[in-house]
Order: sequence, then structure tokens, then C-alpha cells
Amino acid sequence: MSNLGRLLGYLKPYRARVVLAVFLMLLVTASALPMPRITQYLLDVVLPQRSQSRLLGVFWAIVGLYAFRGVASFLLNYLLGWLGQRIVFDLRFQSYRHLNRLSLSYYDKRQTGKIMARVIDDINVIQYMITGGFVTLITDILTLIVVMPVVVWMQWQLAVMALVIVPTYVVVYKLFLKRIRALSVELREKWDALIGALQEKIAGITVVKAFHREGYEVDRFMTTVQDNYTLGMSQAKLNRLLGLIVTVVSAGGTGLIYWYGAILVLHRQLQAGELIAFVGYIGYLYGPALRLVDFNIQAQWAGAAIDRVFETLDTRPDIMDAPNAVALASLRGEVRFRNVSFGYDPSKPVLHDINLEVKAGELIAIVGPSGSGKTTLVNLIARFYDVTEGEVLIDGLDVRSIRLESIRRQIGYVSQESLLFSVTLRENIAYGFHDATDTQIIEAARNADLHSYIADLPDGYDTKIGEDGVKLSVGQKQRLAIARATLTNPRILILDDATSALDSETEAHVQAALDRVMEGRTNFVIAHRLSTIVNADRIVVIDAGRIVDVGTHAELVARPGVYKNLYDEQFRSAQDEALAAYLG
Amino acid sequence: MRNLTRLFGEVKRYWGILLCILLLTAATAGLGLPGPLIIRYLVDNLVERKPFNIPLFFGLYVGVSIASSLVGAGLSMTVTYLGQRFKYDMRRKLYAHMQTLPLGFFEKNQTGKLMSNITNDVATLDQLISGGFVTLVSDLVTLTAVLIIVFRMNAYLAAWSLVVFPLYIANYLLHIGRIKKRADEIREERDVMLGDLQEKLAGAMVVKSYAKERFEVRQFVGQTRNLLELNVDQGMMGTRMWTLAEFIGSGLGIAVIMLIGGRQVMAGSLSPGSLIAFTSFITGYLYGPILRLIQINDQIARTNAALTRIFGTLDTEPNIKDRPGAVALPTITGAVEYDNVWFEYEPGQPVIKGVSLSVRAGQMVAFVGQSGSGKTTMINLLSRHYDVADGAITVDGHDLRDVQLASLRRQVGVVIQETVLFNTTIRENIRYGRLEASDTEVEEAARAANIAHVIEALPRGYETRIGEEGIKLSGGEKQRIAIARAILSDPRILVLDEATSALDSETETQIQTALERLMEGRTSFVIAHRLSTIVKADIIVVMEKGVIREAGSHQELLERGGIYAGLYLQQFEVALDQQRAERRT
Ligand SMILES: Nc1ncnc2c1ncn2[C@@H]1O[C@H](COP(=O)(O)OP(=O)(O)OP(=O)(O)O)[C@@H](O)[C@H]1O
Ligand SMILES: Nc1ncnc2c1ncn2[C@@H]1O[C@H](COP(=O)(O)OP(=O)(O)OP(=O)(O)O)[C@@H](O)[C@H]1O
Ligand SMILES: [Mg+2]
Repeated sequence: MSNLGRLLGYLKPYRARVVLAVFLMLLVTASALPMPRITQYLLDVVLPQRSQSRLLGVFWAIVGLYAFRGVASFLLNYLLGWLGQRIVFDLRFQSYRHLNRLSLSYYDKRQTGKIMARVIDDINVIQYMITGGFVTLITDILTLIVVMPVVVWMQWQLAVMALVIVPTYVVVYKLFLKRIRALSVELREKWDALIGALQEKIAGITVVKAFHREGYEVDRFMTTVQDNYTLGMSQAKLNRLLGLIVTVVSAGGTGLIYWYGAILVLHRQLQAGELIAFVGYIGYLYGPALRLVDFNIQAQWAGAAIDRVFETLDTRPDIMDAPNAVALASLRGEVRFRNVSFGYDPSKPVLHDINLEVKAGELIAIVGPSGSGKTTLVNLIARFYDVTEGEVLIDGLDVRSIRLESIRRQIGYVSQESLLFSVTLRENIAYGFHDATDTQIIEAARNADLHSYIADLPDGYDTKIGEDGVKLSVGQKQRLAIARATLTNPRILILDDATSALDSETEAHVQAALDRVMEGRTNFVIAHRLSTIVNADRIVVIDAGRIVDVGTHAELVARPGVYKNLYDEQFRSAQDEALAAYLG
Repeated sequence: MRNLTRLFGEVKRYWGILLCILLLTAATAGLGLPGPLIIRYLVDNLVERKPFNIPLFFGLYVGVSIASSLVGAGLSMTVTYLGQRFKYDMRRKLYAHMQTLPLGFFEKNQTGKLMSNITNDVATLDQLISGGFVTLVSDLVTLTAVLIIVFRMNAYLAAWSLVVFPLYIANYLLHIGRIKKRADEIREERDVMLGDLQEKLAGAMVVKSYAKERFEVRQFVGQTRNLLELNVDQGMMGTRMWTLAEFIGSGLGIAVIMLIGGRQVMAGSLSPGSLIAFTSFITGYLYGPILRLIQINDQIARTNAALTRIFGTLDTEPNIKDRPGAVALPTITGAVEYDNVWFEYEPGQPVIKGVSLSVRAGQMVAFVGQSGSGKTTMINLLSRHYDVADGAITVDGHDLRDVQLASLRRQVGVVIQETVLFNTTIRENIRYGRLEASDTEVEEAARAANIAHVIEALPRGYETRIGEEGIKLSGGEKQRIAIARAILSDPRILVLDEATSALDSETETQIQTALERLMEGRTSFVIAHRLSTIVKADIIVVMEKGVIREAGSHQELLERGGIYAGLYLQQFEVALDQQRAERRT
């Protein structure tokens, strides 16, 4: 329950309001107290005395009491609503901010849907508990504190009888607690699974449809729904059973009080009205016990949610600025790998002892078989992951000692898979540089050979992508990603297989523009189509996580090795007869 | 209101459970009614100090209480059951319906919003059904019963107790409009937030590459702040309505009864016990239900947006579906014919403009051409993810629109351009191509796709999970898994849409050999920009802006010296230069 304490810590900034809320709660609680007394007064005094004026007094007392209660409880509820929403806001904000701080390795290992569930559903549950159950609990406790002396003072024997029952509640509650808690945790997990599966399958609908698996997917999804259903039912059963026991116990208790009270009245030790008022007060005692059951359920449910929210908040980002990290306003763009080894899983290294020195302004091509570690290598430059051994230096400084933001802002990274957002083309291109002017945006689109396509669209750059908009072909997406990267005017440009979906002609256009863009920057280009990279200053050949060769195209084709093989393989058909004939 | 009638239609199916609930409700109401009468008996005797049978009273009181809480528990279980059942069935219905909708639907709706449709909207309905509807029934029953009782007990007093009723209604009418409006706004804002959240979490890579974390957080804060304000405002209005309702009911109502009833007691026409019983009838069984009737209206208002969206989805007709009387496509040989095909995604912007192409069974067709020229679209039309606007596509002489969708897609195996793998084991990912495939078959497919050695090198081999609690694969590795998946599906027509773009040439060549074996005797369509991949094709189709510019074999096209020859020379320039140089020496 220490997490609960931590959650309450979120109320601290609103201390004044919390105090006010507690005060209002007191007023609301207190306003409930006179009513049984008024009834008693009516029965024992007003009616026997047949006093019309007192009766009118009772009338106004009730109206006044409820008016007072109304105002207080309106203020209270408003305040509580506000506090609840505010906590939701604070928690969401913090969770989301924290999620953004977490490094890619966090996202690699989690389903998007599950992360979403934490930001949305868990926090909703927490809000529900705070404004619902938690408040009732406090009100109930306040009521107990106030009512207890009142009943004891009214008739202590009856009060003792009423209180004897209380321990039963505690016992019953203890008996059920563990099972309810376990169910709640399980239910949260199943809900997660449901959201995770749903997100994945909707996002991957093309594959589902390509293999005609719609029916299969419905069945699969329904098993997760079924799990939720079954658990939901067992939880309900448990809750109802607990509720039932508690009601039966209170009914018995009240019955006993009537019994004993009636005897007292008949023996003239008690007034009839007093007994009725007493039972009214006892209602205030047993009511909370009943509600405690509900609260308990909510609290268990929320407890699971709270734990998960804090678990996210407590996940330390692997990649963080060192306390004394320096901000580099302008990079020269020298990159150096010194004895770098790296594995996503430290026990399974992907890169081994990489040494590479890149001067500012160089164009470095990286080639190698699929899965050899090319993407991994460039990921280390932008510090998406930290090396296991050795160091990556930019401008002679270890990347771990430079402010992350200042590195990433000066690196233009086009990843292997192009991702666009559901906003306009303009906003997508300007994602890295929101203040770009129209001319700059058009220039960037031209560099990526995309301008003519966009200009032809009815809405031009204001065309929306995705929802309520167009979908781009994969090649168009890649080009948009290139435009996005060049717009930021980066010092280091990294293109990870960024033109793989382009035909040679389009690629040639893009290449021509890129040649200009790359001027004066340090560039890393990964490509499988070797025609793309023959002009590189140096070609780095990677195989199974090691640099096996470095040199210019001319040097590398002149000697046997991985590069020569790749080259031969790709251009074999160029050496065929037809071509020879064609060339004459 | 139309939404509600439809919702009733949906709930009607559970008439058995509903009947049960109705009975239990009547029982609860019935068991609740003796309470105040028993108390009246007690009070009247006590006020007069007349000895009475106390154990009998005790037995009655406790017995009735226990019975009513038993029935109450039964009722609440049944209601929960109804709610859960309803959620279950509704989610199934929604998800199953979504699955029948064509790709176009998913392209136009953000993933996050569709998710919210299935999760949140359905949950909202459940709240209405198990929260509101059921109490509605029970409240109506109680209300009628109590009205009869109180009027028979004392018609004069009963009439007075209804005096505050108009105030109630006025209060409700005053608030409900704005609450409803806010509910719609909240839902909309929430959806925007969910949609964005999903996108930005899935696109964490891009956010990080551009160091846009702070920007995204700011954006998100803006949305949640709007939500905060809307929610607080809605909460305020709700609270105001409720507080007023409580004041009118419990406060004013009781005061009036005590005043009028008190006068009657003094005049001797009413016993004190009756007054107490009367008050508890009125507060417990009359104002309560009326209060809840208001509540259900409030709930209905809040639910309306959810209902609209759920029915919106359910009403979206799949525009690609089997026409009545569609026949199952028999096992095909794979002759494909595009006959003057026109197609557009957006009205007025044709993407395919009058394409005709005739493919014989067993041929390999390659599409090349500029990015955005419509290659993928040609494939999408073949698997009938979209219908042609004009012209026709036939397979073995059957127009695609005349055959059952399932029988078509089962025979067309597509490796799509952007690889999608699911968060499960590698084995299950490959098996997705053919669910009944044996483990050996899965492994064979992996071998053919040249990925087996990578998988086998993993500590957990084929049981390695991808994504959550597992590993991430490189771009080329993912593509190879996707190819294995298609190989396993053993289709009559194989489509590879840039399925090897992320592979190095050596790996590609190795796969190529396996693929060639697979393509033997099947029709295949291959899209590739690396021309070395497709030189062996029977027909190479060069597309440009939605029309076919050239078609023929590699040799023919080279000889013609057109676009293809240009592309080819461009790509092989390096090699050719070198060759020329070699020749010169
Ligand atoms: N779902 C869609 N909705 C609207 N427009 C689309 C959709 N899919 C593609 N388009 C548009 O249709 C045109 C052709 O797209 P298509 O995907 O067929 O191109 P492609 O030839 O496969 O290109 P690439 O080689 O880049 O993948 C493009 O201009 C694209 O923007
Ligand atoms: N996030 C990750 N977690 C765990 N393993 C990973 C992760 N990313 C890549 N790997 C593994 O590391 C190895 C190298 O991957 P990398 O993406 O660097 O290859 P690559 O050379 O870029 O290949 P390709 O040309 O296919 O894109 C692969 O075996 C891959 O499975
Ligand atoms: Mg890669």
C-alpha cells in the first residue's frame, strides 16, 4: 500500500483544496445527523403536544437543513470532481512525459496497445477510485467518528449491542481480501492482453486480409474477451457474496436492537421516538460497513492500476543525459567508433570490436548481408542504445557526455521503415523543424523528388495523410521521410536503406539532389542496391557484426571478398549476352 | 432516440435473462414494501406502550431483510451477467464486422479510434444497460406499487407528497441539454487523444530521431487539458442537477409530509407510526426511483455518442463483399486478365487508367516503374481489396466480383510491401500462412526463405517471441519471415511486392532459387526495383502514372531501347562502365 501513499502525494500541490474538501465533508456529514433527532422530536414532543407552531418549526428546520446540506455537498462534489480530474491530468502528463524519456529498448519490448492501456485505462481506474470510493470512505470514517459518541450517549446498552457486530465485518473482509485482490490483478492483465491484441491486429490488418484470416482473428480475439468475461463474472460473484454476508449481519444486528429497544420502551426506559432515532443512527454505522465492501473492490481494482502506473514511472530510461552532459550547439560531424562492442541483449553481442574513424564531411556507405548489424551501427551514433564496450565519439566527445537533444537535433535520420503521422503533408515534412517556411518545405520536397506529386494533389501540401486523407505509396513515404530529414539541416545525415523502394529513375533524381544536400555534412548511407553507393568516399563492409573491409568502390571490387561477391551477384545479369549484344 | 430503439433491439435477444431480472426485480420490490409497514406496527405499539409479540416482530423484520438481500444479490448477479454477456456479444459483433470491412476503412480510421470503439464505447453501453436499464425496470415497478400503497394509506397526504414533482422535472430539463452536449465533446476530444497517442507511441522511433519528445508532451498536455476542462464542466453540471434533485426530493418533500402529516396526526386522523412509514415509503421508494429515472436520462445522454459510433461502425457496409449467388472459385490454374481496368482511390484522381494485361497460367509477371505509378494498386485489385471502377479483372475467366472473396484470397498469396509481424513466436508468425501446417513444414518454409539459420542460432529457436518479451528483427530478417509465411501458404498465384528490397544481393539470390522452384507451375507477380531480381520474368510490365508503357521480356524490352532499357542502363551503369573498361584493355 506504499503506492497508495505515493498516490496521495499527488494531492500535495492542492493542499488548500484538500483541506477545504475535508472541511466540506465534515459539514455534509454533520448535516446528516439532525434528521433522526428531528423525527424523534416530532414523535415524542410535537405530536403528543399537538403544537402547530412547533410543527411549522420542524418544517422549516428540515428545509433549512437540506438547503445547507445541498450547498455544502454541491461545493464538495465540485471540488472533488476537480481534484480527481486534476490528478488524472497530472498522472497522464507525467506518464506520457516519462514514456517519451524512455529509450527505444523499452518500446522494442512492448506492445503499443499495452502501453496505451497504462496511460488511459489505468489512470481512469485510479480517478474513479479517488473521486468515488476514497471519498466515500473518508466521509464514512468521519460519520463513524461523529455518530459513535452520539449513540453511546443516547443509550449505551443498545450502543454496545450494535458495536458487537463490527468485528464480524473485519473477519469476513479479511477472508475475502486476498482472492479479490488476486482477481483484480489478473483482470488488469487480461484487459491489457485484449488491448494489445486489438491494437496489433487492427494496425496489421493488411496481413490479416492478405491471408484471409478474418474469421480466425475474430475467434482469437474472442478468447481474450472470453477471459475478461469469465474473470469479470468470478469477481462479481465474490463481491456479491461478500455483500450478502454483510447485509445479513447488519439486518440481524438491527433486528436485535429493535427487540431489546422495544423491551426498554415497554418498560418506559426509552421513548418510542428515541428508538426510531437510534436505529436511524445505527444505519449510519452499518451503512459504512456495507460501503466498505464496495470500496474494497474498487481499491483492489485501483491498487493494481496504481502499481502499474508507478511501475512505468519507475522504469529508468537506459539512455539519459549524464548530469554534466554538455550541449553542443554546432557539431563539426566527426564520428569515431573506438573498440565498440554492442548487443541488444548483452550476452548476445551483435557488433564486435568496431573501429572506424569518420572525418567531418565524409560520405560513408555501409554494406553487408541482412542482419549483419548495419542498422545497429548507425543506431549507436544517434545514441538510441548505449554501447556495451568501447565508445562512440562525436567531435572527439563520448556521445554519453553530450546532451541527447543536441545530438539528435543535429542528426537527420531516415530509418529503414518510414513512419508518417496522420497530419497534413506539410506538417509531416516539417515535423523536425516546425518553423520552416513554405519555400524551405518545397525545397525539401524537391530534394526528395516529391514536389511534383504533391503539387498535383487538389489540396497540395495541406492534404491530410491517413485518416480523412490519402495514403501514400511506400516509395512516396520513403521520399517524404527523406524530405523530413533534410529539412532540419542536420550536421550528420543517416540514410538507412532509405531509397530501397524507389525505382532507379526516381532514385537518380533523389540521388542528384542528395549529392547537393550531403555537401558539407557527414553522411552515412546504408544500401543494398550498390549503384547507390559507388560514389561514397569510403565503403564499410560489415559481416556478422565485424568490419571486414573498408575502401572505395574501385578498391573493393578489385579484391576478392564480401563486397566483390555482393557486387558480382547483383550485376551478374549485366554481363549477360543480351546486354553485350545491345551494347554492340 | 433512434439509437435507443436500436439498442433495445440489441438487448431484446436476452429476453430470458431480462425476464429473470424482471421477476427478481418484482420480488425485490415486493420484499421491500413490508419494511415500512412492519416499522409502523412497531411504532404504533410503542407509542401507545402496548405490549406486543416482540419475537414475532424480530422474526418478521430479520426474515424480510434477509430474504430481500438474498433476492437482491441474485438480482445483481443476473444484472452483472447480462452486462458481461452484452459486452461480450457486442465486442464480437463489432470486431467481426470490422473484419469484413475492406482495407479502405482502416486507412480512413486511426487505429486508436477503432480500438476505442470496441473497448470504451461498448463499456459505456454496458454501464447504461446494467446500471440504468435494470434499475429503470425495478424502479417503475416499485413506483407503481408504492403509489398505490400510499394513496390507499392516505390519499390526501399522498397527493401533497407529489406537489414537489414538477420542480423535479424542471430541474432535469434545465440541465440535460448541456450535459449531453458536453458528453459528445468529451468523447470527441478523447478520441483525438487516443488516436494521437497510439500513433506517437507506435512511432516512437521518429519522435526520438527528431528529439521531439518535449513537443509531443506539450501536444498531449494540450489535449488532456481540454479534456480536464470539459470533464470538470460536465461534472459541475451533473453535481448541480443532483444536488438540486436531492434538495427537492429529500428536503422539501419530507418537510411537506411532516408538516401536513403532523397536522393530521394532531387531528387524530393518522397514527404516528403511519407517518413514519409514510415518510420512509416516500423517501425510500418514491423519490429514490424518480431520482434514478433522472439519472438514467443523464446516462442515456452520455451514452448517445457511444451508441452513434457503434452503430456507425456496424452500419458501414463493406463495399467489397460477396455478391448474392457468388460461386466459390475452383482451384485455379492462374490465368489472369486485366481488361481495360480503371481505378481511383479518391474520386476524380484515377490511379489506374485503362490497363489491359493478359497473363497465362504459370507465367511470371514483373511490374516495374516509377514510385507511385500504381504497381501496388494493381496487386490490391487482384486480391480484390478494392473493386475496379471500370473494366474487369478475371482469373481463369471468372470475374473477381462474381466469386467468393474467401476462395479468391485463399489462392492468392501476397507478401506485402511493408512487413508486418505479430507479437508471438517466430513459428506462429510463419504458420500464419497456413494454420494447419506442421512444424516441419514451417521449418522448411523458413529454410526456403533463407532465414532458418538465423532462427536456429537463437537460443530459443522457433519459439523465440517477436516484440514483447522477445527480440526485434532486422529489416531483412522480417522480410524473410514474411516470405516464409507466403511460401507456406502454398498459393496458386504468388505476389511479391518488393519482398526482397531490404535484402543484400547474395541473400536475395539464395532466396530467389527457392522462389523460382516455388513459382514453377504457378502464376506469379513480382514487383521489384532491383532489376536483377526480375530479368527472368516472362513479362515485364513497365508502368507510368497508371498506364502500361511497355510490356515484354527482358530481352525484347532491352532491344526496344525504351523506358526499361533506360532504367536498366541506369542501374547497371557502374557494372557496364567497368565492363567497357575491361573490354577496352
Ligand atoms: N489507399 C490509398 N488511398 C488513396 N490513395 C492511394 C492509396 N494507396 C495508394 N494511393 C495513391 O495511388 C498512387 C499509386 O500507389 P501505389 O501504391 O500503387 O504505387 P506503387 O507503384 O506501388 O509505388 P511504390 O513503388 O512507391 O510502392 C500513389 O500516388 C498513391 O499516393
Ligand atoms: N531491438 C533489437 N533487439 C534485439 N535484437 C535486435 C534488435 N534489433 C536488431 N536485432 C538483431 O541484431 C542483429 C543485427 O540487426 P540490424 O538491424 O543491425 O541488421 P542490419 O544489418 O541492419 O540488417 P538489414 O539489412 O536486414 O536491415 C539482427 O540479428 C537482429 O535480429
Ligand atoms: Mg537494417
